[in-house]
Amino acid sequence: MTPKLKKSLLYWLLLSPLCVVILLPFGVMFVTALRPRDELFVYPPTWTFSEFRWENFVEMWVKTNFGGALLNSLYVSVTSTIIAIVLSIPAAYALSRYRFSGKGLYRNFLLMTQMMSPIVLVLGLFRLMVHLNLVNSLNSLVVTYVAFNMAFTIWMLQSYFNTIPRELEEASWIDGATSFTSLVKIFLPLAVPAMVVTAIFTFINSWNEFVLALTLIRSQNDYTLPVQIFSQVAGRYQVEWHHVMAATVLATVPVAIVFSWLQRYLIRGMALGAVK
Amino acid sequence: MTFSIRKAMAASALAVGMAWAGSPAYAKTQVNFTVAEYSSKTGPYFEEVAAAFEKENPDIHINIQVVPWDTLLQRLTTDIAGGQAPDISIVGTRWLVDFASQGIAEPVDSYLTPEFKSTFIDTFMAPSVIDGKTMGLPVAASARAMLVNTDLLEKAGAKAPANWDEFYTTAEKLKALPDTFAFGLQGKEIETDAYFYYSLWTHGGDILKGDGTSGLDTPEALQAVTLYKKMIDEGLTQPSPTNYTREDVFNLFKQGKVGMVFTFPMLIPQIKAEAPNLKYKVLPFPEGKARATYGVTDTLMLFSSSQVKKEAWKFIEFAYKDEWRTKFDHGEGFLPVTKNVAAEKYYSSDPDIAGFAAGLPYAKFAPTIANWEEIADTTVRALQQIYLGQAKPDEALKAAAADINKIRSK
Amino acid sequence: MKSRTRIPTTPLLMILPSFLLAMSIIGYPILDLAWTSMQEVSRFGKMMGFIGLANFAEVFRDPLFYSSLVRTLIWTVAVVGGTLIMSLPIAIMLNDDFHGRGLARVIVMLPWAISLTMTAVLWRWSLNGRAGLINATLMDFHIITEPIEWLATAPLAFTVEILVGILVSIPFTTTIFLGGLSSLPQDSYEAAVVDGAKPWELFRYITLPLMKPFINIAIVLNVIYVFNSLPIIWVMTEGGPANGTDILVTYLYKLAFRFGQLGKASAISLIMFFVLFVFTIAYVLMVMRQEHDSTAEEVKNDA
Repeated sequence: MTPKLKKSLLYWLLLSPLCVVILLPFGVMFVTALRPRDELFVYPPTWTFSEFRWENFVEMWVKTNFGGALLNSLYVSVTSTIIAIVLSIPAAYALSRYRFSGKGLYRNFLLMTQMMSPIVLVLGLFRLMVHLNLVNSLNSLVVTYVAFNMAFTIWMLQSYFNTIPRELEEASWIDGATSFTSLVKIFLPLAVPAMVVTAIFTFINSWNEFVLALTLIRSQNDYTLPVQIFSQVAGRYQVEWHHVMAATVLATVPVAIVFSWLQRYLIRGMALGAVK
Repeated sequence: MTFSIRKAMAASALAVGMAWAGSPAYAKTQVNFTVAEYSSKTGPYFEEVAAAFEKENPDIHINIQVVPWDTLLQRLTTDIAGGQAPDISIVGTRWLVDFASQGIAEPVDSYLTPEFKSTFIDTFMAPSVIDGKTMGLPVAASARAMLVNTDLLEKAGAKAPANWDEFYTTAEKLKALPDTFAFGLQGKEIETDAYFYYSLWTHGGDILKGDGTSGLDTPEALQAVTLYKKMIDEGLTQPSPTNYTREDVFNLFKQGKVGMVFTFPMLIPQIKAEAPNLKYKVLPFPEGKARATYGVTDTLMLFSSSQVKKEAWKFIEFAYKDEWRTKFDHGEGFLPVTKNVAAEKYYSSDPDIAGFAAGLPYAKFAPTIANWEEIADTTVRALQQIYLGQAKPDEALKAAAADINKIRSK
Repeated sequence: MKSRTRIPTTPLLMILPSFLLAMSIIGYPILDLAWTSMQEVSRFGKMMGFIGLANFAEVFRDPLFYSSLVRTLIWTVAVVGGTLIMSLPIAIMLNDDFHGRGLARVIVMLPWAISLTMTAVLWRWSLNGRAGLINATLMDFHIITEPIEWLATAPLAFTVEILVGILVSIPFTTTIFLGGLSSLPQDSYEAAVVDGAKPWELFRYITLPLMKPFINIAIVLNVIYVFNSLPIIWVMTEGGPANGTDILVTYLYKLAFRFGQLGKASAISLIMFFVLFVFTIAYVLMVMRQEHDSTAEEVKNDA
């Protein structure tokens, strides 16, 4: 046995309890989503069932207006991600490249924006949206998600920016470029991977957000996925668990896969910026 | 905060580039209707009613907002606090006093024609009447009853109980069966208090005494809870009731694990879909000093802040047509609130529904008092302490009664 | 370089848009909250007039506030502490080269991708006493003979909730640590190995000190997020049984949106904000004093 193989076995042994605990709810999700309804409450509960009921997904799709909610979620998540990135780039660039008074203050301000949980602010946010005439508009969610995610996008972008050597920009100034053109032509193309990763992070946060979506969106046609799914769980007298789980599978698994696949970029991003 | 600051902040947010956002302008009159979700059928049903209504009234648009029941009160609180209340909403009748006393609910007497009023069953209309004013219309109703698993009873050689003594002996016989719990007792979350009221009322007690103070410190209440506690301790219920919500207890029943539960008519369609082979029977609650069932209604409420009351009312009248009410009550499994629907053969011939409806003449309703949710929560806390053995029944009930009296005097 | 320090307005202009947006979207509700906390508020949020600190006085008279506060502290310390203890070794393993590392990383990151609400719903459903798959599985493997009622009593339910809290915090924390580990200088390790240092000594005298800044940021951010976290406890037990698992944020949610005591709820929110604020300031000050070295390094890099 090679040392690496030995080490691998040891590590997997150590990690396995955690992996089991992490995968367990996913397993539960799948076996519930695929079960015929009359096998939901057999005793004792089992992992197996008589047939794979793929129709559950079709039924759920129609019944919960899944397609509409999916589009709403896509709109909100994509738009808020783009705006968050666009607003964060200059701020992150400033934090990464300049020394100015108020820099520390601004960092502390960003940290403070994270100190209030959205649920606490829900009433005030709603009143604000009334003033802005944004109630019953998906854009109310967009603005709010941008605000709540900005601290993180700035931290992450800054950490990447710190790793991009200044020499490249400085070289372009010598060639006569203004700082703006050097920013656009030299710096930003280098920062594309950073933006992609930060974007994914913001996208997932917006995709999964529940409390604000529930409060600020008032027409069923505008519901996002988490609200649409939760309204299935919270039926007053009846919960159709197989449909709930089918919806959860469809809403989370694709995102989970993409996310996990890209996590190595995330790690790099998290590394320095958060600390500095 | 002054208005100008608010404005300034609002403006600054706009300046950041959100100016493109705005609410769409409606050429039609829009009526906002907040619907509480009972099951997955609720939303589509009301959409259908609205579509049919809009066909007849092309100038009115009904905007249906389906809200999960668990979050309905949060949503309404936010909406009202933000000055964006809907025009109509389904609310729990037990919250109606809070809405009425704050001037949020609009009395509907002036809209309610005698013919329309006469379509309702009086029993269900009564709880929505506060200080002589009708604050809304009953929209959903249920009465509670006992469900027994007849296969298990037969196996145990026990008979269906008619009073609490028989209930206890039947439970003892059921307990002897392997892997079976005699009585499913709810001890967690919504309506944990209701499960206790069933016992309280049939033992002759009540939620409030004649003088308006809490009825939890009466001997009847103590008797009611002591019986439950005794059954827990003797293993006649499922273990650890505080881990079992209403839904969990009913799931045990669907699994065929439990002999007797107290439940609502909406469970019947679920049993038919999820446990088609289960044999059961609907029976009245065991009798003690009194006969009782719990009548629960929800109310369709018109908001006093609404600018489109006329249009809203037009829709309400439309939605109470017999064809729609029939579809709603059958779909959700509710008891009818209108006389015409109640007269349908379905409600007398179907033994299950008839079993639930049988209790209506002596049904009790939750008292229409302010701060009901807080009072219910106090009651649930006391019950959980008793079920868990953290507090002695008489002490916990006395403390809860004192707390409730304090809340009542607020 | 000179040209940039001469015009300090440029960086300020660059942070301005993000600052304004955050200020209006998050700042406004905080002011609204502060204002509400000093008002008598009706059942449905209508302001009935200024009452000064009466709402705060009522909070401080409420025994449930204190028990929730204590529980919030236990919750935060246990979840954050547990997360750190778990995440550091996980990150060290995931940073090392072994067969299947990619897969292991994917699995460890998975909980991050599902919303907390749905995670909590899934756990509640799986932990169900007689209908849940966890008890069934444990019984299949003969680990237990009788189903365990996981959420029936407050101590057990709270423990379970803390464990779920740790589980969902691991991905975030591990990511920070992995980022830190990947930036550690390899040469100091090699030198130490040449000097014959044991793995434990490597960890104790090289890894741990170098990881300190990452550990600190993980502590601050986790404390903030965990302290304010509603969904896990709310979905699994709603703070019950008998308020035995209530933390401040669940208690506050109940007060505001079930009982309609918006004034009192606003007061609690502000108290929570204050607690977090003081903690963060204190921690940052404390840490900053220790970390003079790394700050100096940053300046050097910037130059």
